[in-house]
Amino acid sequence: MLKAENISFSYQSGSRILKELNIIIDSGEFTGIIGPNGSGKSTFIKNICNLFHPDSGVIYLNSRRLNQMSAGELARSMAVVPQETNISFNFTVYDLIMMGRNPYQDRWGRIDDEDRKKVEEAMRLTDVRDFRDKTIDQLSGGERQRVIIARALAQSPEILLLDEPTSSLDINYQGEIFDLLSYLNRERDLTIVVVSHDLNLSGQYCQRLILLKDGRVYTSGSPGEVLTEDNINEVYEARVIVDDNQLTGRPFISIMPREQGDYLDKLDGAGRVHVICGGGNAQKLLQRLYRCGFKVSCGVLNQGDSDWDLARRLGFEIVDIPPFAYIEEEDLDKNREIFSDCEVILVADLPFGHGNAGNLLQLQEVEDKDIILLQRRSIEERDYTDGKAAAVWESLTSRDNVHTVSDVEEMIERTSQLITKAD
Amino acid sequence: MTVRQRFILILFFSLAAVFAAFVIALAVGSTTIPFTTVIEALFSGEGELQRYSVIVRQIRLPRILLSFLVGAGLGMAGVIFQGVIRNPMVDPYIVGISAGAGTAVTIAIVFNLSFTFLYFSTIPLFAFLGALITVMVVYNLARTGNKIPVMTFMLAGVATAFILDAVRSLVMVLGTQDIQQVVFWLMGSLSGSSWGDIGMILPYYLIGVVPMVFYLNDLNMILLGEESAHHLGVNVERVKKLLIVGATLVTAAVVSVSGGIGFIGLVIPHITRMIIGPDHRKLMPLAAILGGIFLVISDMIARSVIPPMEIPVGIITALAGGPYFIYLLRRRKQERW
Repeated sequence: MLKAENISFSYQSGSRILKELNIIIDSGEFTGIIGPNGSGKSTFIKNICNLFHPDSGVIYLNSRRLNQMSAGELARSMAVVPQETNISFNFTVYDLIMMGRNPYQDRWGRIDDEDRKKVEEAMRLTDVRDFRDKTIDQLSGGERQRVIIARALAQSPEILLLDEPTSSLDINYQGEIFDLLSYLNRERDLTIVVVSHDLNLSGQYCQRLILLKDGRVYTSGSPGEVLTEDNINEVYEARVIVDDNQLTGRPFISIMPREQGDYLDKLDGAGRVHVICGGGNAQKLLQRLYRCGFKVSCGVLNQGDSDWDLARRLGFEIVDIPPFAYIEEEDLDKNREIFSDCEVILVADLPFGHGNAGNLLQLQEVEDKDIILLQRRSIEERDYTDGKAAAVWESLTSRDNVHTVSDVEEMIERTSQLITKAD
Repeated sequence: MTVRQRFILILFFSLAAVFAAFVIALAVGSTTIPFTTVIEALFSGEGELQRYSVIVRQIRLPRILLSFLVGAGLGMAGVIFQGVIRNPMVDPYIVGISAGAGTAVTIAIVFNLSFTFLYFSTIPLFAFLGALITVMVVYNLARTGNKIPVMTFMLAGVATAFILDAVRSLVMVLGTQDIQQVVFWLMGSLSGSSWGDIGMILPYYLIGVVPMVFYLNDLNMILLGEESAHHLGVNVERVKKLLIVGATLVTAAVVSVSGGIGFIGLVIPHITRMIIGPDHRKLMPLAAILGGIFLVISDMIARSVIPPMEIPVGIITALAGGPYFIYLLRRRKQERW
């Protein structure tokens, strides 16, 4: 067990990096330490492996104080894969891994059978036996990192610390390294602590995440508990969307890019639009509106509808009703209230049935606002109300305040024109 | 053939080369002595061998042994400094040792401090003190907290060497009548070596070699980076400190008898590394042997090429080592360990 109690640390000339940090890592855990740049992740690791000494506070390794252990003792129970492995010399892979046995050997590094056995095992686990006689600069990035991990394993440690083990690797190697760590954790009972700025990788593989912010623990727990939109928004100051990875059930984070283009400048915080959508027909429209920086409301939508889901995650205002429910008069009242202060109403080319036809019918009463109809498919193809919806759609198209467009980009452009003209 | 077998084979050949170099160097000089007579004269001073026995045993042998010790010492110190500082372009002279020694000796000669004691023999003492003080100054300049960052150490060494060289030049200008003596010492020479010289430097030399031998394997780890070495259980700062002190002691001892003999500390570790690889446990003994042989041969050339005059051996080593080093640089532009 590794326990950091109230540790504070500052670099010689700088401000405090770690501020009374408290962390406990139990034996057998696979823990990820995450946090933005400058949150103290790497500094924490360097304190944990006794490379730096905290200004105050105590670190315990299996209830022994870290600063009372010799370098050799520490190397027998803790192995470290540092961030930068900048090696260019003629040691062979085998020699390099054998150096992991240093804490067990005498002064002149004499090799015994135990050393050979451990090195063979480390090479087998990391699958580096094929290039044992090569030198390190003959290897690819992923192979090299496996060699460094093999050297760490040759130390027969209880705890393996890794500082950004995949930061310079291609995606295939990233998975490979984390698969290996996961295997070592499960099958070898190795306690693993990995510092990473890749939230998705650590979220997929780690059992527990510790999120650092400004040298303190912001929160810790399972990936599901830690990787929430709110936490990430707060700590990283970034707008993200957290989905479940469909294969693993772990959280999966996507960043939402904002377009800093012409639209946003022109809109200048204005640009309130209301979207009538549903059935997943407006996904692209909603995304484009979000990225262009419009303030969007949607309604009336059935809960669980995929447009509803997207609008919710994009943080749009929604008038919603239970799944499969019909739109009632009171829902339309609410909808009217919401779109009353918007500048343009956008209608996606969604199918209309008896359940949602109310949305369309309501537009007949709107005369003081611009309405844009998206018409990629003709209304006849998506009318399931025996012509009622089609008749309304047709009558709308003849009004002065109603415009029709044939694709999403045109709709966005038209909207922004209408809004800037109104200003 | 395993690396180990290869090492033993190379070691065997180089030891044979040492023997050959000794015999040749004993034979060659202002008077050339036949090889068989050399061997006989080594073990017997009777009869007609007496004449040769004095030359071989009292004049050439101490000088050759001293050359070997100096060359070996510079080779080993070069290996250590290159390893600790993790830069294959470093040698014992870059970190200020020769500048410190040179300045101290110049001051001693010009201000006649050496006359206070037994004339010439106090010069080594000054060289020794100068080197030690310089390294201590450089070491403390470079130290931040408990650590000695490699880059700062090198820069502090170069800067200190520049200052000391300026001081030395100034002192030389002030004391014009002694310039020739100083210049000869600075150029590096082994002429006039005696058994007494060997006896004088040997204690310092041996004490300096102890940590160098003791931490060879740790130095291998340090080559991977100081952080990695720490993670592998090496007490990096202590090892570095003791290695630097040891290498300085050996270099200072060597410089005190031979003056400034350049390029051995730079070129010999290089060549040895090309032969045997980066493992210091093999690199160090071989660098000692090759450095020794190199200086024995260089000194033999220095004292026999235009008899009865002697060329300072530093000129020979620089003339032989410099171009070879440039050739190495050209041939393998990508330097690696």
